[in-house]
Order: sequence, then C-alpha cells, then structure tokens
Amino acid sequence: MVADEHVTELLPAYALDALDAGDASRVDAHLKTCPDCRLELKSYQQVVEMLPYSVPQVQPPAYVRERLMEQVGATRSVSGEQRADARAASGRTLSLWSGLTRAWAVVSLVIILALASSNLLLWQRVNRLQTTVQSSMRVINLESTDAAPGASGLLVISLDGEHGTLVVDRLPQLEEDYQYQVWLVENGNRTSGGVFSVSSSGYGSLWVSTDLALADYDSVGITIEPAGGSPGPTGERVLAGEIQAQR
Amino acid sequence: MDLTSLDDEALLRLIIQRNQEALGVIYDRYSRLVFSMALHAVGDRLAAEEITQDVFLRVWEKAGTYRSEAAKVSTWLASIARYRSIDYLRRRGVRLDHSSIGWDDLTPGSMPVTDNEPEDYVEQESEHWRIRRAITHLPEEQRLVLDLAYFFGLSHSEISNHLGEPLGTVKTRIRLAMQKLREALKNDLPVEK
Repeated sequence: MVADEHVTELLPAYALDALDAGDASRVDAHLKTCPDCRLELKSYQQVVEMLPYSVPQVQPPAYVRERLMEQVGATRSVSGEQRADARAASGRTLSLWSGLTRAWAVVSLVIILALASSNLLLWQRVNRLQTTVQSSMRVINLESTDAAPGASGLLVISLDGEHGTLVVDRLPQLEEDYQYQVWLVENGNRTSGGVFSVSSSGYGSLWVSTDLALADYDSVGITIEPAGGSPGPTGERVLAGEIQAQR
Repeated sequence: MDLTSLDDEALLRLIIQRNQEALGVIYDRYSRLVFSMALHAVGDRLAAEEITQDVFLRVWEKAGTYRSEAAKVSTWLASIARYRSIDYLRRRGVRLDHSSIGWDDLTPGSMPVTDNEPEDYVEQESEHWRIRRAITHLPEEQRLVLDLAYFFGLSHSEISNHLGEPLGTVKTRIRLAMQKLREALKNDLPVEK
C-alpha cells in the first residue's frame, strides 16, 4: 500500500523525534494498527540508542558530583583528616544543609509571617536591607569586598535566633580545589558555619548552625578556602555583615 | 552492601526509596555519557556541567516515572540529557555553529582497522567505538542532518529552513543515514557509501 510505504519511510525520523507534527500524528496512528512497522521502528530506535555514544567522551569535573549530592541533601564528604581538624578546632560537628529548597522554605515562611504580622511585603523589607527585632526573622545584609565586587548575600536568622540560612548571589565560581567558607565571629573568635559552592550564575545557599546561637555572634564573614574548609580563615574575604551591632 | 554490583534498575528502585548512595553509583556510571552529550550540543562546559547536574537531579526526583518496558535505564537517562540540552539551546535562542557539527573528527581513516577489535574495552567504550565507526562511513551531508535532528532537536522542516535545502532532500538524507547506520551496526562491517 502506498500509504504504508510512505509511513515506513518516516520511521527513521520518527525514531529520532524529528518529524513535523503532521507526519508524526500519521505515524502514531499507523503504528497502533501495524505490528510490522512497530518492529521496524524498534530497529531504528536501537540505532538512536547508540547515538549518545557517538560524541567524544569527556568526564565532568568532580565538583558537579559534590553539588549534586549536596542538593539531594547528603552531608558533604569532608576528608577524615579535615573533619577531625574541624572538630578539634570547634568541638562540634559540621553539618551542612545547603539547598535551594531549604532557602525557599525559609523565605516563604518569612513572607507568610511578614504578611501576617505587618502587611508589608517581605521583599520590600529585604530590598531595603532592614532588620527588625519583632516577630519576624532577622535578615543580615552582607556587603561585598573588593575581592568580589558585585556579590551580595543575606543571612536570615530564625525566630529563636539559633540557626540561619545564608543566601548569596553573584559570587565568582572557584576552581575545583577551593570553596567558600562561612565564619561567625564573636569576641575575636572565629567559628566555621560551613562550606559551600555556587552555581555558574554565582548563586548559593547554606543552612548555618553552630553551637552558639547565630544571633549571639558579632559578625559574619565569607572567605575563600581550600575545598572542604579550613580550621580558621586563611583566604580572602568576599562578603561580611554585622550581626550584633544592628540590634 | 556494595551497590556498585547492582544493575541500573535495582539502583533506580533504591533511588525511589531515597537512597543517595544509589544515586551516586548511577552518577558514576553515566555522568560521562550525559556530560559529553550536553557538551556536544551546547558547546559550553559550564552549561554542560549545570545540565549534567540537572539531569541527575531529575533522576533523583523522577526515578518513579521510569518504565523498564519502554527503554533501558541508560536510554532513559540519555533521553533526559538530550531534551534538557535541546531545551537549554531553545531557551537561549542559540545560533548553531556548524563548525562543531557533524562529527567532523570522524573520518574513515581515523578509526582503528577491523582486526584490532577492542576486546578489553568496557561495554560503553565498545558501543562508542562501534557507533563512531559506523558514522565514519556516512557522507558529510548525512552526518550533518543526523546531528541536527538528534543533538540539536530540529525537525525535518526546521533542518530544511536552517540549511536552505528542500524538505524532500532532508527527509531522504535522514532516512538514508539511519538505514546505513542500522546496517553497519547489525553487521559491524564497513558500509558502502
């Protein structure tokens, strides 16, 4: 049949999903009634299955895996030695809860609270870089340094002042061996709040939690450190903000 | 339990149960494949890295939608990577640079001769070798339309418009290219042009 022949000729392109809409519907309809064509199609689908292997095979960098695992909520795999050092330095476990979902959960909760309590949109508040000590969460604005002009950041502290979420944007991506590290400063002592990496657009977020309540620190800073973090700040500071001074 | 000995479908079942280690094993198996596809399509390493991350995140989120009767896990993954890359190109309205299209690096003389079978390659390497060898025997105009259709997601009419070639010519080229590849892969022998 002429109609069947024509459809047979379209099967290779159908397998590639390269048919225009009209042709695609014709083939769809025909396949429902023609087992021969379904078999023929399968042989072309087997060709298509091979096409991914036709390009030069390149390994992605290791940090892609790390970011992925971070995003699905895994604890960062700091090397045993670094983990021991960090413990020795601060006497507590580093636990990292970075992830967009968490940042958005915080932000949406803040919006709900803000709307409920004051009718002012939180976004306006955040944009005006205000912090309040009433019933809404405190938002600490981070200023960028010359090391990262154009970068911005916020530290949103929970209502009970204990924990917070750090959100940064436009921070330059670092090479594989480096990461950003958050430091909470109190009376000159620096405590690590965790390490993180940013997306290609410079966006990143991190759940920050230390032994001391976040609200009790004097200030917060972010520096560039070797991947996995350092016991104390060693690299350039890129963002910083005051916590206590604004109370 | 050593998850690396499990097959892909078993790993997906674990992923549905939120087993992050299983995701790690799937990533270790297929990240190179996904990244290479993305890099070929979008030509930008950073974008390809983001796409790779997105693809495996999607595996994490959508493992429950995988249907073994529809395709192998590797095919399902490659499909996600393919459409995610095409989506990236569409959203950015990227102009296609033909200098990187069409498997230019593959010439009949550049492949190993048939009696040096890569027996010690792992399965993915041998698939890679087989399809690339099959492609070396396609004329350039057929490689180009195939590349445009598969990696760049163009339809018959889009390819025709893009190249300024008649629709019938494009349709014939794609059909011939696919028929030749099918023959070459079936027999694993060089195909007459």
